[in-house]
Amino acid sequence: MSGLLRQAWVISLKDTRLFVRDRFALAFALAFPLLFVLGFTLALGNISSPDQPIVLRVATQEQEGISTQIIAALTAGEESVFQEIAYDEARLAVKHGRLGGFVAFPADFTASLLAGGKTRIEVVSRSEDPNRRAALEGFAHALAGQISLAREAVATVAALKARETGATPALDVGSLIQPTALVAMETEQVGPARPIRASNFTLPGYLTMFVFFAAAMGAEAVARERQTQTLERMLSNGVRRESILLGKYLSTAYRGLLQLAVLWIVGIFGFNVELGPEPVAVIAISVLMVLASAGFGIMLASLVNTVRSADSVGILTSIVLAPVGGCWWPLFIAPAWMQTLSKLTPHGWANSAFNKLMLFGAEPGNVAWEMTALALFGAGFVAVALWRFRMAPAR
Amino acid sequence: MNEEFLAAKELRKAFNGNVAVDVVSFSIMRKEIFGLLGPNGAGKTTTIRMMATVLPPDGGDVMVDGHSVLRHAGEVRKLIGVCPQELALYPELTALENLVFFGQMAGLGGKQAKEAAGENLLLVGLQDRAKDAVAKFSGGMKRRVNLAISLMSRPALLFLDEPTVGIDPQSRNHIFETVQRLRGEGMTVLYTTHYMEEADRLCDRLAIMDHGQLIAVGTPRELKAQIGQPEKVTLEEVFLSLTGRRLRD
Ligand SMILES: Nc1ncnc2c1ncn2[C@@H]1O[C@H](COP(=O)(O)OP(=O)(O)OP(=O)(O)O)[C@@H](O)[C@H]1O
Ligand SMILES: [Mg+2]
Repeated sequence: MSGLLRQAWVISLKDTRLFVRDRFALAFALAFPLLFVLGFTLALGNISSPDQPIVLRVATQEQEGISTQIIAALTAGEESVFQEIAYDEARLAVKHGRLGGFVAFPADFTASLLAGGKTRIEVVSRSEDPNRRAALEGFAHALAGQISLAREAVATVAALKARETGATPALDVGSLIQPTALVAMETEQVGPARPIRASNFTLPGYLTMFVFFAAAMGAEAVARERQTQTLERMLSNGVRRESILLGKYLSTAYRGLLQLAVLWIVGIFGFNVELGPEPVAVIAISVLMVLASAGFGIMLASLVNTVRSADSVGILTSIVLAPVGGCWWPLFIAPAWMQTLSKLTPHGWANSAFNKLMLFGAEPGNVAWEMTALALFGAGFVAVALWRFRMAPAR
Repeated sequence: MNEEFLAAKELRKAFNGNVAVDVVSFSIMRKEIFGLLGPNGAGKTTTIRMMATVLPPDGGDVMVDGHSVLRHAGEVRKLIGVCPQELALYPELTALENLVFFGQMAGLGGKQAKEAAGENLLLVGLQDRAKDAVAKFSGGMKRRVNLAISLMSRPALLFLDEPTVGIDPQSRNHIFETVQRLRGEGMTVLYTTHYMEEADRLCDRLAIMDHGQLIAVGTPRELKAQIGQPEKVTLEEVFLSLTGRRLRD
């Protein structure tokens, strides 16, 4: 056993040495994610003034009605993410590129809602701004769901009251659609809503993406070692396959921890990222995420055969899992089906926890499921690697 | 000298139905340099990989000093060193780092590994380049590093799979002399090469392999006697007469 650990340790040091000497790998793991964070933070919000949060604009074509009550409720409070804007002015602003997009209620919104008919919420956005469009669409979806729920509730209460008293109750939609209730629905009730600073979700998102990306690229190094027969050479020296796997796991984990340290430090001091009221929980989630990524790396290394397949599988999985797992835009503004889909990826659980802790002031207890899920993903990946890892290329 | 150190017994291996090694048996005596010759694709590397415990045979077994590669691979691995046909090393690491790493993999402690690395670099004439990345080395120097790595475990039995392929006469000669010196120190060596005069000079006994089968085993002199007067024929002529002149691969 101690022989196994010692060999794994020596292997992990050797791999770390190779990593440090590989300038491209270093740049890829550390500089790329920072560039992405910088780019998207600039695109989504102004990083030079940290007080300027993402603002979602809402407009209505009704003079008076449920939509005006909803807007009043949404925009209430000093820290609201929402701002009202006049419909025609908003359209013009989008047309001339002064505004990324907005959500609007139609003129017949109240009428068709009260008549029990279908109504719609309009999303107007500039096509070249996919992040904002995703944000607005997600918001519109959530709002639509909330309104139909509220209508069901109001209708039921009204029917009951009418039976009791024979009177028609007044509609108070505003009290049913509070901004807290809205955000709570999207974010699983984890605390009061605060303005969203772009870097607070771009940084954990890109951190997660690039930690997994770098881990996946590690599979390529293993495939190369299989091809150049260094693994076989170790085997003939008496090294056990488990030592090699553990060594690879450790070196991938060190890399991830280095990425973690660099990105959080640069994020906090360079991008005004706030870890929220529970920084220890954020770090715990980050470490669990890194361990899951190391498992992911050795699992890929066990499943791919050639260097080329390692390359393409690594890139493909990374750029598919990242958006599905909410690394590119925040999950809480995504439609429900995307939120569900994200649960199939470790990225999704990590991002959900980061968002809860860093944006919505959750307590560690609120992210217990996320921690469990990340640990299970990590264990599952390692199990597959132990089951499938080969020392020589299959031909 | 006449004690059997390795015995391959009816080894068989096929890859996806293509037979690479077809019932091969031979033995290597202690402190002997045993040559394994054969055209490209004859099955030499496959045979070595099975003897080196890294490729499980489809049938048969190999005993190394009484230990079976099937049942006691761990014991066999303590006795052997393998210099693979490909350069199995890390070009980005220095020569010293490569040797120390594989020494530690073979069970040496950090300090022991550094000492052994120094000795082996001296042996292959690379003591002055110890701290240079292998990527910057010439082909011959890389081959010598590849050989030095396989000596890190101080093996009793060394498998050399074409250690002199594609390098200049100086490097070849150096490797050649190194192998003779190792044998002088009591090492048993299995040597594979396509250079017949090399095999003739170096090997005590030879086996010629073709299409996965052994077609001749004996001393260079015995093999030459099969086709004529040993003094007058070359090993190359023996080889061509036994394996034919048709191109392979
Ligand atoms: N891993 C493998 N998968 C499939 N076929 C293989 C594999 N290794 C070897 N072979 C095939 O087995 C046969 C014997 O190959 P081997 O490498 O043992 O020959 P060799 O005598 O070492 O040749 P060379 O002199 O070219 O090194 C060849 O036909 C080769 O293509
Ligand atoms: Mg070969």
